[in-house]
Amino acid sequence: MGEYRTQMKIIGDILSTTRDDLQDENGATVTYLIRKANISHSRISRILKTLVSQGLLEQADSQGSNRYKISQTGREFLQAYHSFSKFADDFGLNI
Amino acid sequence: MLENILNLVGFLVGLAIGIMSFIGFRNTGSPTLFRLTIAFFSISIGFFVIWSGYMLEDYVIKSGSVDRGIQTLGIIIQTVGYFFIAFSHSIKAFFPKSNYFRSVGILPFFLVSTVQLEHIFRSISFILLVYGAIETILSYRNNKNKGAVSVALGLGLLAFGEFLGWYSFVFPESILYSISMTIKIAGLVALFIPVSKVPLKKIKFDDDLDKI
Repeated sequence: MGEYRTQMKIIGDILSTTRDDLQDENGATVTYLIRKANISHSRISRILKTLVSQGLLEQADSQGSNRYKISQTGREFLQAYHSFSKFADDFGLNI
Repeated sequence: MLENILNLVGFLVGLAIGIMSFIGFRNTGSPTLFRLTIAFFSISIGFFVIWSGYMLEDYVIKSGSVDRGIQTLGIIIQTVGYFFIAFSHSIKAFFPKSNYFRSVGILPFFLVSTVQLEHIFRSISFILLVYGAIETILSYRNNKNKGAVSVALGLGLLAFGEFLGWYSFVFPESILYSISMTIKIAGLVALFIPVSKVPLKKIKFDDDLDKI
């Protein structure tokens, strides 16, 4: 049985992929992020829309498809996420 | 005097962990960190209320014994904090589901004195803390995170401190209460050890992130 992931963990996984594991310098496609984050298309579409509106991801139109790259705010958020994820881990909890 | 100092230390340590949790909540919007914020602010306020009771007694009232009502109020506020720590570990069936039992469930609290209330809340605190300690040590089995050992030890010491605090009723005016307080502070310090390792320097606030 797969491990349960919170919404926050999924967001962390998406941002980590767009920071550390890009296909190329143009950014990651939705299909690539679906495979890496292991969630459905409808769910990732909602999350990506929120992340772009919050300025954590930058959206670019490249070769006829939307591509996503992490922004500076996204990097800062991801750093805070990793720090406080460890903090919650210490309490035996997931953020 | 010793009780004054220990309660003040408890207030400060609880406040420090609460502030750290709040910074985490502000930066990530995580509900778990929000629950921890409420938990540690409650624990901190509880220590503060008890400390205020001792200060009032020492410098204003001077009756020779601390007001049990204030002491009980502080313990109830701390119990709320311990509840939120346990609640974060997914206690789903803490309250009865029936509306009837919910409505009459609070009735016994109006029928008992503050001394009995203190007994009741100390025992609730003990159960919640033991539950939290067990859940935390179980999480260590999964992630081998050393910080979890420190937190489990902290919660365990807080539980033992609550137990001794309750047992001190058998031997009032003995050193047992001071030992109980010292153990509780040691528990809070053990909780603070992993918290102190969070690197705050590189983290900055951003209001827009609350909406995620």
